[in-house]
Amino acid sequence: MLSDLGVTEIADRIRRGESSAVGVTEEALANISARDDGVHAFLCSAGQVALAQARAVDDRRASGKSLGKLAGVPIAIKDALCTRELPSTAGSKILAGYTPPYDATVIERLLAADAVLLGKTNMDEFAMGSSTENSAFGSTRNPWDHARTPGGSSGGSAAAVAARMAPCALGSDTGGSIRQPASFTGTVGIKPTYGRVSRFGLIAFASSLDQVGPFATDVRGAARVLSVIAGHDPRDSTSLDAPVDDYEAACERSVRGLRVGVPEEFFADGLDPEVGASVRAAIRELEADGCVLRPVTLPHTRYAVATYYILATAEASSNLSRFDGVRYGLRVGGDAAGADLRGMYGATRDAGFGDEVKRRILLGTFVLSAGYYDAYYRKAQQVRTLVRRDFESALAQVDVICCPTSPTPAFRLGEKSGDPLAMYLNDIYTLPASLAGVPAMSVPCAPTRAGLPIGLQVIARPLEESTMLAVAAACEKRAPQPTIKPVDWTRPSRTS
Amino acid sequence: MPKAQVDRSLVEHVARLASLSLSAAELDRLAKDVARIVEYFEQLDALDTRDVPPTAHVRLDRAAWRADETAACLTRDEALAQAPRVEGDGFAVPAFVD
Repeated sequence: MLSDLGVTEIADRIRRGESSAVGVTEEALANISARDDGVHAFLCSAGQVALAQARAVDDRRASGKSLGKLAGVPIAIKDALCTRELPSTAGSKILAGYTPPYDATVIERLLAADAVLLGKTNMDEFAMGSSTENSAFGSTRNPWDHARTPGGSSGGSAAAVAARMAPCALGSDTGGSIRQPASFTGTVGIKPTYGRVSRFGLIAFASSLDQVGPFATDVRGAARVLSVIAGHDPRDSTSLDAPVDDYEAACERSVRGLRVGVPEEFFADGLDPEVGASVRAAIRELEADGCVLRPVTLPHTRYAVATYYILATAEASSNLSRFDGVRYGLRVGGDAAGADLRGMYGATRDAGFGDEVKRRILLGTFVLSAGYYDAYYRKAQQVRTLVRRDFESALAQVDVICCPTSPTPAFRLGEKSGDPLAMYLNDIYTLPASLAGVPAMSVPCAPTRAGLPIGLQVIARPLEESTMLAVAAACEKRAPQPTIKPVDWTRPSRTS
Repeated sequence: MPKAQVDRSLVEHVARLASLSLSAAELDRLAKDVARIVEYFEQLDALDTRDVPPTAHVRLDRAAWRADETAACLTRDEALAQAPRVEGDGFAVPAFVD
């Protein structure tokens, strides 16, 4: 069933009693056993916990109780989200074995909608990376080609959906960590408006940019998951108290007459020609649907990488100071080793954090330090204003902006891991929307000749996820179906 | 923007501020990376931002204050359950004099 059906069909079949939640969960767990040795999408599979949740859904239905919008739908969860029944490590050795005493708000909402938590997925440590190679627990492989990365940082969630081990997943996106892996794996991934989804229980990386969002096999499925997790949360002071639209209905909405902005800065040097051609073809198809194409300009795009990596590392250096060996997680040194308090902090953090996290803590501490704050941190905050104004001005002229999600298809494992700056530059097309706080998503368009997925990015005004979804759904309907399937689909999985 | 001389001793100082005890080899490697990335940051110098206000956060205008009411929180046992070391009712840390 998971190979053919998306989130909405699965939930609707379970509600109608045509499938059981236990049956679907068993199939998902069997797919994980059969396929995840090759992919390594999961850090832990929920096994019996998931089956117990599924049984509870079947029992509720049997006793005539109403079921939620995600009844019996197995969902994979990025390990940056706190789950009280499953370990939550954020891909870091410093949190190995840590099980939080509470659920993130998005987890509570999923469970209230009768979803089944399938397990926790691999990620770059503390979401710092674009390939999932920075996980302390090994790399995830792209289901379309095991020699390539699934992108990152939510690479495990994207790969789990691409290999149909789960029909949907949650990720988090600080500078592209949902959209870029969605693009690399041929899945749909949404970064909502900053503040649309609660961050309570998301292990923080850069608080002014972090946002939780869904992955799914199709736009409608992603819309349904978004409709469950979106909404105001009093426990997150940055969560917006704004009504949640009917995102699923938006997927059926006509796009006729919508103005689609095409920013030339996103089709510049460094863009893979096949990606450029595929994205331009998908945009032309929108014109055939009645959209009006307009050139727009986002002139500060070229400064987004420098701006983002100053602001995000600054916020990270502050957020990660909580990992010091006192309240939870790893502790190295201390009384037994004869170290004092500072020595214990330093030894714990040196042993617990990987190279990229240390690099970013150093960068962030530097740009915030006395003598350099104005020159780097404050300057980047000012450039962030310029990037934001670019979007305000462009989105005053058009309803959505369409562009590539990533300049290349999935790159090879090891290709960029030795060169941090090359890895950062790969984020050029996802960072601007993050800095501006606007909603953005990736939807598959025509793949490369070699069969690697390519993503089209759709960006909308703040809180206008509905317009973004309507355009993404129109692209999805017209996108050529891939002629090959991920290698992992061919492995046997059916149990029933 | 004043050019920063990002060398090994500056990165060593920053590592101390960040409570990171780096080995000599790590310091050599990371100092090179940090210097190269900070040099890349300096392209922002090209922009005149004299009259541009900074953005620390986007769209806080619609955020609502939460009601000022007491609510349940973690119990002491829950809060201490994952601590590497506990003494009595609290988190235990090595002795220190500041």
